[in-house]
Amino acid sequence: MELEVKRDRLVLRARGNKWEWHIEPRYWRNPLIYVGILIIVPVVVYFVYRPLLPTIIEANLLATIAIPLALMTIGTGRMNFGPQFYIGIGGYTAALLSIHYHLNPGLTLIAAALGGLLFGFLMSPLAIISGGLYYSLLTLLFPLLFLELTLIFVDLFKGDTGLAGIAPLVSVGSFSLNLLAYTFITLIMMLFYLFIVDKILRSRYAVPMAAINDDEEVANGIGVNINKVKIISVAIPAMMIAIIGWFYAHYYGTFSGQTFLPLTFMLKIFMVTMIGGRTQIYGAIVGGYFIAFLELILIRTAGDMASLIFPIILLILLLVLPEGLFGLYRKRRYREYKPTLHVRR
Amino acid sequence: MLVVIETTLIYTFLLGSLYLLVSLGFSLICGVLRIFHLGYAYIFTATIYFTWMFMSLFGWGLIPSIAAMLVIQAGIAIAIYKGLVVRYMHQEEILILGLLFVAIILEQAALRFYPIQAGVYLETTMIPGLSKIGQVTVSNQLIFAAILGIVVTGLFVLFFLKTKLGLAVRAISYDVYSSRLMGIRVERVFMFIMVLVLIPVILATLAIAPIWAVDPSMGWGYMIIAILVSVLGGLGNIKGTIIASYIIGFCHSVVGFVINEPQFMGLSALIVVLIMLIVRPQGIARSETVW
Repeated sequence: MELEVKRDRLVLRARGNKWEWHIEPRYWRNPLIYVGILIIVPVVVYFVYRPLLPTIIEANLLATIAIPLALMTIGTGRMNFGPQFYIGIGGYTAALLSIHYHLNPGLTLIAAALGGLLFGFLMSPLAIISGGLYYSLLTLLFPLLFLELTLIFVDLFKGDTGLAGIAPLVSVGSFSLNLLAYTFITLIMMLFYLFIVDKILRSRYAVPMAAINDDEEVANGIGVNINKVKIISVAIPAMMIAIIGWFYAHYYGTFSGQTFLPLTFMLKIFMVTMIGGRTQIYGAIVGGYFIAFLELILIRTAGDMASLIFPIILLILLLVLPEGLFGLYRKRRYREYKPTLHVRR
Repeated sequence: MLVVIETTLIYTFLLGSLYLLVSLGFSLICGVLRIFHLGYAYIFTATIYFTWMFMSLFGWGLIPSIAAMLVIQAGIAIAIYKGLVVRYMHQEEILILGLLFVAIILEQAALRFYPIQAGVYLETTMIPGLSKIGQVTVSNQLIFAAILGIVVTGLFVLFFLKTKLGLAVRAISYDVYSSRLMGIRVERVFMFIMVLVLIPVILATLAIAPIWAVDPSMGWGYMIIAILVSVLGGLGNIKGTIIASYIIGFCHSVVGFVINEPQFMGLSALIVVLIMLIVRPQGIARSETVW
């Protein structure tokens, strides 16, 4: 076995085989490097400073929501301003079934996914019948009305306090180990969603989606079945987002609409999307970590003022970095296809 | 049966007129600027809390405090127009999120400096007491707010129909590019509209402040009503907005006062809007022009 250090790479030779690793940062484009970092960081944090694990979990979950939302936005050619509605659907489905019927998390996962899919199908005609602005307005209202329903039917949803006593997803002995397990579950979910959405966006199915995103009338003219693509583009991401609601319910052991359904949570998701670089699925991970850690730092340093300073900083970032952090990277690298976000009718 | 009809008609009139006042500004911005002002909720909060700030911090009377609040609100509206609307008019996702952030920042600031325990209350009652109309007893202030809604809407309609500036606004709402070619200074009219829409919202907030709950997040509920009315009315047409306000008012009065299930008022209005969207996707009146 022979290891040779060259100017830009390491070369390993063994039994007639040769392996090369680029050591210049400009060649570090292999996704496995980043996946490796994402795996190593929680382990290091576990041994160095465990209170950071919940923030990593939150970051992973925010990115996990933003990834299917990007797919929904591209496929419908419209901005859904209420993705948290599906989190509510998934979360409440899992919570109610776990508490009242004592179903295990595996079964509640199936129920939450089916619930998300069902509501996705029910909501999908909206993407067909209503124009850009109408769609955005209505999708904005649904989570707020769902929140209202949770406050009306207090016996069922337990109002502000939410449903408690949901079976935990994992129980491996100690609290810290549980947190580490949750961190890896969210990481796996995030990477799985990234893989699936990336595959879809690189496949031939993405072409009609991109056509709809660019110009619906032209897409219709060239024979794209717009209704079919839109229904699928709403229903599948809705199911994916509902699964995150399922995770929230089993992770916290409680689920309250007051945490996930208001506009503040929606804004956080959208800032992940915007900071990440507008429907850029890899950027969603950067955005998720950025937002989660920024919030943590503000809570630790600004105390009561954090709730005021946090939106101010986000507003400044939105205006200063319209293409997000990923946009800084993209400035130097050409992006083949850039989806547009349509709000205007 | 007569009581039911009486209650429905009276509350349809009262709530419908009030909703008209609440949603007129939102609808106008949709119709003229062709943007979706999601920061609209801040106007309600700012009206109450800036007035209260001048009263409690400087010891000013109600009228000077309202005057100072008007100046600040106009300043904020102009700042929003120049800082956000002009720059991001064609990047609506940034514009909408930015406007939402403005509303949240003002809400959080109000919550930080004047939490609910601070007991913020504005004594803006114009006609105290209650009145009995047939079998229905209603607050005089609510009747005042409803009449104010009709008067203000009437003045707005007159302004759009009878003045040169109103004509310019209608022209812009019909076609911005042609209006520009005709020599209308579109940006100035846009800024004027941003300030003009404050009037009905501020009047509505001051009128209902003594009778309905006041808190830093009060604006969101009213903004939802404004959104529903605007969507139902056709996003920007005043005729549509007037009809839609009374439809939502009717819906709320039936659910809230006849069926006596006020918790379902919001949901019932949304169902009506959804049915309307399916039957007539463009809303009651097509928003080709503001009138």
